[in-house]
Amino acid sequence: MRNSCSSVSTVLEKYFDQEVTDEERFLVEGHLQDCPACRDALKSMEELRTLMKVPVEEAVQKEDFPWVWQKIEREIRLQKKRTWWQSLRSWLDVTPLFKRKIWIPAVATVVVLLLISTQIIFKKTPSYPDVSVVEYVESQSDNVMVYQLEEPKVTVIWLFEGPEEERTTT
Amino acid sequence: MKKRVFLLTAFFVCSLFFISTALAQVPVRMRIIQASNAGQNIDPSLKDVHKELGSLFSFTSYRLLREENLRLSPNQPVTITAHPGRFLEVTLVGMQRDAARLKIRVIREGKDILDTQVRLSPGRTVLIGGPRHGEGVVIYAVSARF
Repeated sequence: MRNSCSSVSTVLEKYFDQEVTDEERFLVEGHLQDCPACRDALKSMEELRTLMKVPVEEAVQKEDFPWVWQKIEREIRLQKKRTWWQSLRSWLDVTPLFKRKIWIPAVATVVVLLLISTQIIFKKTPSYPDVSVVEYVESQSDNVMVYQLEEPKVTVIWLFEGPEEERTTT
Repeated sequence: MKKRVFLLTAFFVCSLFFISTALAQVPVRMRIIQASNAGQNIDPSLKDVHKELGSLFSFTSYRLLREENLRLSPNQPVTITAHPGRFLEVTLVGMQRDAARLKIRVIREGKDILDTQVRLSPGRTVLIGGPRHGEGVVIYAVSARF
């Protein structure tokens, strides 16, 4: 039984793309031997593929892919740089659960630092008078004298150290 | 993420620690001066105490042997070699709002030849003199700067 062109034409494209089963191939090849119209159709498909393949391959060969990559990289580099604040925020941008846990010690630290620095900056004038006071003085070996002068305000501790010879003999 | 939290916490703790440590320190200027009657030289670096030295002592020559700028932490003695055979040990024993309490020991051959405790207001100087050195004596000028 000769297969009709309409039944073969449904599998002719699959045959052309080499996607047919052995049975279908046998069917199509048998039909093509007796049917000049289907042979012409197959030939047209081959010509069409040739027509499409050649310019596409030429275009691909001409295409400069390194240039394309360079362009992409340049675009990446040209992306707007983030400010330090955005960087810091993104660095601190952890889950909402942790956000509070981080900001609480951070704020506490800043407050403590501000309090400390404020105290240093706005330190009041000394409530103590300008003094240098000797609270105690003693010596195991020599006599000591302390004298404090009002003008100039100087405190002196004087050690009456004996001569070297005396010390070495005693 | 946990690493970030840990790093941030560690940073905050370290900041507080270093700041509190730095605040607890008291800068002390220690000058070791040789006073003698050999010559008429006054060391230019002793300009600020020259008036006091001149009004107190009858030496004609004052020479700066050594200067140390110490940062004292509470109850941590700092020992320096004052001059051959003698060591000076300075300890910050207390810190009030506007006065630092310093314990000063002059040690010779392992023995305290002087043990004293002074209270210094900022900028004030106490002079400790007497130990012999060469043809003259040594005077230690201790000033608190905070």
